[in-house]
Amino acid sequence: MAALRNKSDQEIKDLLNEYGIKHGPLVDTTRPLYEKKLKEAMAKAKVPVTKPSPDRTFYREDQEEVTYVTYQTPVRSEGPSGDGKPYMRSRPEYSERDRVDDKPYSRSRPEYSERDRVDDKPYSRSRPEYSERDRVDDKPYSRSRPEYSERDRVDDKLYSRSRPEYSSGRPYVDEPHVYNTLSSSSYSKPTPVVKSGGGVVKKENTTSSGRLIPLWIQFLVFLILAGFLYFIFTNMESAESSPFNRIQ
Amino acid sequence: MSTTSQKHRDFVAEPMGDKPVTALSGIGEVLGKKLEEQGFDRAFVVLGQYLLLRKDGELFTEWLKDTSGANTRNATSCSQCLREWCDAFL
Repeated sequence: MAALRNKSDQEIKDLLNEYGIKHGPLVDTTRPLYEKKLKEAMAKAKVPVTKPSPDRTFYREDQEEVTYVTYQTPVRSEGPSGDGKPYMRSRPEYSERDRVDDKPYSRSRPEYSERDRVDDKPYSRSRPEYSERDRVDDKPYSRSRPEYSERDRVDDKLYSRSRPEYSSGRPYVDEPHVYNTLSSSSYSKPTPVVKSGGGVVKKENTTSSGRLIPLWIQFLVFLILAGFLYFIFTNMESAESSPFNRIQ
Repeated sequence: MSTTSQKHRDFVAEPMGDKPVTALSGIGEVLGKKLEEQGFDRAFVVLGQYLLLRKDGELFTEWLKDTSGANTRNATSCSQCLREWCDAFL
């Protein structure tokens, strides 16, 4: 569809409608603008959509399904490494991928159960933590989801997919973390990762919240200051006599 | 209320009549000259273009950038100025 210039006004209007571009009357001053928009729309239509367009409401579930369908076969073997498919979410049953540790690690929906490798690698943030990030091999696992099964060595530092930060820095301890609560739908912030009892050893040893100065120091400083002020106050010379002396 | 310039406030305060195109907010000397070369020598002609584009701010901004080489800030400012004028007087 080249040579938009040569098309008649009506044809341009039809094309605009086809691409869903809202437009006003087509006159000589507005025509160049609409031609430009059509060109952009046509170029965009050719390129397969790899990432969601910003102005379209993007629901993860939709995307997931799409990608899910494509890689149906669980990556048993190496998997389509480097497929380049944007792996949105590892929903698919990883359960089989459990080869080794069968820790009942049910977190966030897919029952990952395996990943429990222990080596407390500071699990900074793998959302789908399927990758059992902990073996040594740090494969720079930038994004291929499918192969988790073997990939558990992946160093999922590069895993940038922001979703729920499960661990907020907690190293992955090997014990049955039962994230029951998280397994239900919410991907939203499983931050209450702290399971009260759980023997989570290092609970937020690293930044629990984003404080620069630890809380106890702040309290301490405050107390010192209060004590100091009190001390000054009590040692002030108090004027016994009433301020309202009559001048006689 | 977003911060508006004095020029904007002046323009929106009264019917535009025959004001030159440089009276529009965001349009200065340079842009004004370019628009005049294209035939838009008065503010109401630019208003006409805005109306032709169905008062769509984004389309108008894009058009202004293409036609006069305005940057995004100026084009948006002009678009907003016209929109408010239309809200008041159209």
